[in-house]
Amino acid sequence: MSFDEEMREALQTFIIESLELLQDMEECLLSLEDGDDPTERVNAIFRAAHTIKGSSGLFGLDHIVSFTHVVESVLDALRDGKLGISPELVAALLPCCDHIALLIRNVVDGQLDADPAISAAGRELIDELQQFLQPGSVAEKAVTVSEKQDILEASGGGTMDSGNWHLSLRFGPDSLRDGMDPLSFIRYLSTLGSIAQLTTIAENMPIADQMDPETCYLGFEINFKSGAGKEEIEGVFEFVRETSTIRILPMDSEIDEFISLIKELPEDESFLGQLLVKSGALTKRELEDALNLQGEGDTEDGGQAAKSKQPIGEILVEQQVVQQPIVSAALDKQKQIKDNKARENQSIRVDAERLDILIDLIGELVISSAGVNLRALETRETGLLETTGEMMRLVEEVRDSALQLRMVPIGTTFSRFQRVVRDVSKELGKDIELIISGGDTEVDKSVVEKIGDPLMHLVRNSMDHGIETADLRRQRSKPARGSLRLNAYHASGSIVIEVSDDGGGLNRDRILEKAVERGLVQHNAVMSDQDVYALIFEPGFSTAQQVSNLSGRGVGMDVVKRNVTALRGRIEVESQIGMGTTMRIHLPLTLAIIDGFMVGVGKSTFVIPLDQILECVALPEDTGDREYVDLRGEVLPLIRLRPLFEIDCEPPRRENIVVVEYAGNKAGFIVDQLLGEFQTVIKPLSKLFAHIKGVAGSTILGSGKVALILDVPSLLEYVGSKNALVPPSLSQHSAQ
Amino acid sequence: MQTLTIEDELTIFTAADQKPRLLAFLNSADDLEINLAKVDEMDTAGLQLLILMKREAAQTGKKLRFVMHSKVVLDILELANLTSVFGDQVILAHNEE
Amino acid sequence: MAKTILIVDDSASVRQVVKIALTGAGYDVIEGVDGKDALSKLTGQKVHLIISDVNMPNMDGITFVKEVKQLAAYKFTPVIMLTTESQEGKKQEGQAAGAKAWVVKPFQPAQMLAAVSKLILP
Repeated sequence: MSFDEEMREALQTFIIESLELLQDMEECLLSLEDGDDPTERVNAIFRAAHTIKGSSGLFGLDHIVSFTHVVESVLDALRDGKLGISPELVAALLPCCDHIALLIRNVVDGQLDADPAISAAGRELIDELQQFLQPGSVAEKAVTVSEKQDILEASGGGTMDSGNWHLSLRFGPDSLRDGMDPLSFIRYLSTLGSIAQLTTIAENMPIADQMDPETCYLGFEINFKSGAGKEEIEGVFEFVRETSTIRILPMDSEIDEFISLIKELPEDESFLGQLLVKSGALTKRELEDALNLQGEGDTEDGGQAAKSKQPIGEILVEQQVVQQPIVSAALDKQKQIKDNKARENQSIRVDAERLDILIDLIGELVISSAGVNLRALETRETGLLETTGEMMRLVEEVRDSALQLRMVPIGTTFSRFQRVVRDVSKELGKDIELIISGGDTEVDKSVVEKIGDPLMHLVRNSMDHGIETADLRRQRSKPARGSLRLNAYHASGSIVIEVSDDGGGLNRDRILEKAVERGLVQHNAVMSDQDVYALIFEPGFSTAQQVSNLSGRGVGMDVVKRNVTALRGRIEVESQIGMGTTMRIHLPLTLAIIDGFMVGVGKSTFVIPLDQILECVALPEDTGDREYVDLRGEVLPLIRLRPLFEIDCEPPRRENIVVVEYAGNKAGFIVDQLLGEFQTVIKPLSKLFAHIKGVAGSTILGSGKVALILDVPSLLEYVGSKNALVPPSLSQHSAQ
Repeated sequence: MQTLTIEDELTIFTAADQKPRLLAFLNSADDLEINLAKVDEMDTAGLQLLILMKREAAQTGKKLRFVMHSKVVLDILELANLTSVFGDQVILAHNEE
Repeated sequence: MAKTILIVDDSASVRQVVKIALTGAGYDVIEGVDGKDALSKLTGQKVHLIISDVNMPNMDGITFVKEVKQLAAYKFTPVIMLTTESQEGKKQEGQAAGAKAWVVKPFQPAQMLAAVSKLILP
């Protein structure tokens, strides 16, 4: 079917539709006065007229449009309650229905434009209707109105209420020569609304001699009333826009409207221009022009461009495209949006579970990429190795940034203690100052969550038992004000959190005495200071001479140790009598993934966290069964993994030492093979193996094999204490 | 009293020819009348000429009346909101020096 | 006296729709199938507005517009160029040749009528 036929068919549809609508309209009109609520019927009549007007416009039946338009206006007033239902009105409207039907039937007969005789009849009907719209003003107008052709109504001289847009038009000098007739555009403008007031500006026309009759000198100031938006009005002048000055501004009375519109805009756009465009106060083209102007300013200014760039708002006001109050409102809005954005930037709430899933998946990705890398190594294909190398690097970055997502500064946790310290010191009658440092040290979120309670205990303990009363402090010639210090920093792959006080320090003898009393240690045990201090973390241990309501609640320091251990951390105490105590918590940076170093013992593979490894050296052949070696003049205790994990097979001829360090202690693991670096995800051991010391978790190798991750701190602890307390077999070393 | 009947259209197409003719007419006497009955087309260029005539006449103290406006002329004057200016002898402020 | 519009397009259906839309609004419409044909239609009658396609056999739209603007009787006649979204360059070319108005294809009859109504009365 050709376009033409389609059009014809569409026209048929329009005719049938319109005649049906007219029938409905007539029925509704006739029943309007029957006393029932007429609202629905008035709406139906209005809709019918509106539809007919709309569709006839589609087919260019402008004589129908212009006639129906007047009918529609009357019905609109009726719908809005500005007009009451009266027999006169119904009597005026019914013939209008008939007239529209007549016009449409003429269309059926192929008459697509106005028939003069019928138009005259239509004008009479319109005059009738006009009385309902503008009582009194009709007769006078009739002469000019009727002389004008049908489409145009009420351009110029219309005495309706004032407009909502002010148009200032200065047409380009070549407009006439280009065939672009200014008055023609203005005539078209009046189809979008009504021209409430128009002033022709001819001041630019030179004296007669110099006046070029083909040059356009005229300008127009128009007060325009229309429901159309700025964009639509601008569209009227599309063809002359580039050569003319077209300014469309909301009337002063409408400015408030735009300001409230701007205030109500959604906060998803932070560019000033975009805000103004969205509110309808600015059109996209005006914005584009202003941006171009801004850009031109740049090039003129050359190097200083960035500094001297004129704000877009200023340009818009200067160009008289938007009024200052509207720009100001948009600026306020922009600021509000930016502020909110900034607030959002500080923290994005993400469901912790989602983050965990991501981290978990990345963990799997790390494992499988390690697998890919292994296979690639086997092939010895350089191309493949290059790509897998690149992939490994990327995966590593992905892993790091994923873990970064979980990192939060510990500062927020620290600053919570300001309040605690103030309240508690008041309660205790002590003057204590809290000094915080290293607050921006980042820690895994889960660590932060779990470290709060242990820290609270340590802080309270220090205030309660560490820092002396002011009197005592003065006697000891210390400043009356005690100080408590919270500090955090990164050290060799772990985060260190310190709680220190300048109090009395731990009393080694009293601790030992108490420990013996409680049966925690043998009466004559020989212990280092470290080991003695560690006793305060034993269950049920309390040394305070007077039990305060803070620390003496039966919840001892053992809870602190348990919590820290659960985080794969370690706690150590440093104390000097009379000078103070420092409790130092070492925690792994993250709980999920580590860079590991793989070692082989027999057929087993172990992973040692890389950041705890100092170096690898060959085991001197003359070591024999000794428990230590001489490492460049230093005594290095040895830990033989083979007997420790009960691996039954002959050691190879040459063995290696992996030198590890944790919290200042060193030891050497004796292994068969050094297998190299390996990123690994820590899979926690199941509960069944949870009691096993020396193993931090397991991981799955690229080959699918399981490797145990060695828990260096607990193994070092084992070395340090094996002479004194700890039974030789790790698997039995479960309870304390 | 001199009368000029504009026989042609008053548009951009004729403006260049009309201008000298109209100015010559303006100089021909002191009491003038322009008959617009036969103007069947008019645009902004034509309107400019009428405004120019009106202004020149006012400046030189001549009497100039436009009469027998055709529908086309009335439409244009109405559109430019100048009906009163060209319908009777009142001169709008902005057309004066 | 209805104004006359010349529509120049090699597509019969485009000419037809334009004709339907414009005659319905009260304009007289004459047709040209290409630039050459259209030039011949311009002699012997007054045309108030020209609508021209760009790509046409025999004589393309740009050349046609340039030729039209050489004719004394048409040097001020408004010309609407029918462009497509992708022919931003053609629009510029058309403007330089003298076609200061444009309608982007494909268009609804109402859009064509709107463009014409901005320029001349029926």
